[in-house]
Amino acid sequence: MVFQQEGPDQPVVHNGTVHAPDAELAMLNARDVFVRRPEAVALWVVPADAIFTQTQEELAKAEPASQAASGLSDYYVFAKFSQQAQCRQVGQVQAGSPQAAVQAAIVTFADKQPLWWWVFPASAVLKNESSEAEPMFSAARYKTYKDQAEYPVVTMMRALRDKGRLD
Amino acid sequence: MERAHQYALSGYLIALADDELILGHRDSEWTGHAPILEEDIAFANLALDEIGHAKLWYELAADLLGEDKVTYPDKLVYFREPAQFRNMQLVELPKGDWAFSTLRQYLFDAFEALRLEALSQSSYTPLAEIAARIRTEELYHLRHSQAWVPRLGLGTEESHARMQAALDALWPYAQGLAASLPGEQDLHAAGIVPSSAGLFERWSGEVSQFLVEAGLQVELRSPLADIDRNSHSEHLPALIHDLQSVARLDPEATW
Repeated sequence: MVFQQEGPDQPVVHNGTVHAPDAELAMLNARDVFVRRPEAVALWVVPADAIFTQTQEELAKAEPASQAASGLSDYYVFAKFSQQAQCRQVGQVQAGSPQAAVQAAIVTFADKQPLWWWVFPASAVLKNESSEAEPMFSAARYKTYKDQAEYPVVTMMRALRDKGRLD
Repeated sequence: MERAHQYALSGYLIALADDELILGHRDSEWTGHAPILEEDIAFANLALDEIGHAKLWYELAADLLGEDKVTYPDKLVYFREPAQFRNMQLVELPKGDWAFSTLRQYLFDAFEALRLEALSQSSYTPLAEIAARIRTEELYHLRHSQAWVPRLGLGTEESHARMQAALDALWPYAQGLAASLPGEQDLHAAGIVPSSAGLFERWSGEVSQFLVEAGLQVELRSPLADIDRNSHSEHLPALIHDLQSVARLDPEATW
């Protein structure tokens, strides 16, 4: 799963998925697929199976998770607030399991009413190093490009065909 | 800058640009054909970047020659004959299998990283500025091709065999990186460009070690006899024909 931050004051949001045999190639693929044109200041990749999701419906039926204090680790908390919205970062909690992380998120972010919660351990994330940011993201900022629609190619090819120079 | 240096530098830059253009064209041939979608997109990106770098060098050459920055690059790309191109043979070889293209990209990127580092220290500021800008992107290219070499070299029996075959085929052509570019001697003496032979020595050491660590055997072959940029393989004319065919249909067209 690929997460992207478009600017320093923007939340990290879920952007899509790439296939890759390992984290480093996932990071490179994520850069090529998602941030060549749009702005980005940070890119994260997380193995899809490290992400635990729960919808409001699932939460209503779920057993309360044990909040045992032993073996706590950091979890990133993301939430999706509408079907159209991207899943975005709301914060971080400490918990002993993904289920417990969702329970902790509900308490910590009591003002939020998302459709879905997504949590994953911070240790499962590969983030771009800040030293890599310039080579990874600068192309998108400095490059000018012409929208496809601005090229008069179709009209030109038609004119050439009419002149009998293309068959 | 002295007039003689201006002229020499324009020839040097056109050779550099030709390398980027031809390699970019070969990379673009993977569009729609790469082994996975993500690499298809990656190679299309590489192709666009390389061709973008070519454009920057052609434009600087145009400036030095007092030519128009907009029309001169197109004139060079679309209306020269194959024999007038000054790219090295390494970049014009057909794309081969994906191991071949990935390894070629690595060999070239690793050299470019060194050359651009040196060019960004050039005493000629416009050249140093463009080199610094291109280098940023090339560092990403190098990271991409560098990631694949050991994964393929140490991957499966098939990926290893394909990488070794690619290396055996590419290595003699890669020796061409040691050859001076047009005008290089005078420009180097003036502190404007680095010596290719000097860069090659560093490249050779770094790359050989990396390839060995990727499970590949590096043969220390003697250089090709024909490594200067005035001679080309039989593959270049067909590539140039493809590249120029649309532009030549209607030379007056506005795109």
